[in-house]
Amino acid sequence: MSATLTLPWMEIAKSAVHDEARQHAKEQALADLVAEYATTLYRVAFSVLRNAADAEDAVQEAFLRVLRHRDRLEEVRDHRVWLVRIVWNIVLDRKRRAKTRPETDDVAELARVLPATGLSAEERAAAAQHHARVLTMVDTLPAKEREVLVLSAFEELSSVEIAGVLGITESSVRSRLFRARNLMADLLERPRSLR
Amino acid sequence: MNFPRQNDRNEPLRNAEETLRLIAALPAPDGLAGRVQAKLRTAPRASSLWRPFALAPNGWMYNPVLRGAAAAAIVCLVAGGGWRIYSHIQQEPIGPAAIAPARIGTGGGFSSANAISKPDTLNGPVLTHAVVPKAQSPAPADEAVPPVAHANKGAKASAHKKKTAGPAQ
Repeated sequence: MSATLTLPWMEIAKSAVHDEARQHAKEQALADLVAEYATTLYRVAFSVLRNAADAEDAVQEAFLRVLRHRDRLEEVRDHRVWLVRIVWNIVLDRKRRAKTRPETDDVAELARVLPATGLSAEERAAAAQHHARVLTMVDTLPAKEREVLVLSAFEELSSVEIAGVLGITESSVRSRLFRARNLMADLLERPRSLR
Repeated sequence: MNFPRQNDRNEPLRNAEETLRLIAALPAPDGLAGRVQAKLRTAPRASSLWRPFALAPNGWMYNPVLRGAAAAAIVCLVAGGGWRIYSHIQQEPIGPAAIAPARIGTGGGFSSANAISKPDTLNGPVLTHAVVPKAQSPAPADEAVPPVAHANKGAKASAHKKKTAGPAQ
């Protein structure tokens, strides 16, 4: 018959091991989040900032915030919506603070970033011009409608998830999207001289 | 999320949405996840006690704790300066309260400013002839003269006497 003897220092050692294991598990969970959602967050950030370096900075800042709140990771129900919401707030904040970049910067960045397989240099430049013009029109939309329109372009986000990111109801998402599309159609119908 | 299609009027709109979709489907740069992981590994892991005082990545202005501390310091400076000025002002001692005389006839209007009201003098009856008082008892002719005139007369007479008589010496 063997009796187990538990001494206080053994308890401390056990709890320390337990804490270390828990810490390791948290770090592993964070690494998994980075591997799974970094690309999505980068796209969301780029759709607002339209600059690769700024978008990557925003993604890093988002995960740094997650690192600070890693103790509450278990409480989060939908990690994707939560992370998109974090990076969305970061990029909106940066967009407000940043000085307005000239449109030529957007065109050059889009020509560099967007896929242009099979296009000549001239066609690529023309496509970049078109994309930049569309984005300029999107910028003229009211903020609420613009945000919904930009987020609705993401195939991986449903209207419910967009509502979760923006903190509004799904019906609000749909009505704002309807208004945004009407406004965009009006802008596109106008002659270019009136824009 | 898929865009609902309305009608063919929105052909340019579809092109515009295609631009947004294209951007939303951009491939992330190579090694993004690895760079983020490396950044997380090198992130400062200060204890929670000192974490609020760590500088934010964009500068201290974006750290809410430091911003609050700066705002509190400004408030303290303003309040301290105000108190210093207030405490240096010597206030005059307040004397006994002067008791105002009770107002008489406070009707709420203007006072008379010490003006004295004088009634208009009425014009009395005008005498057309001299009134001679009736003598109650017969008196000598000299006594009929007023005493002042009599005295003057006496003085003149004595002076006349002195003039005519010449110097006594």
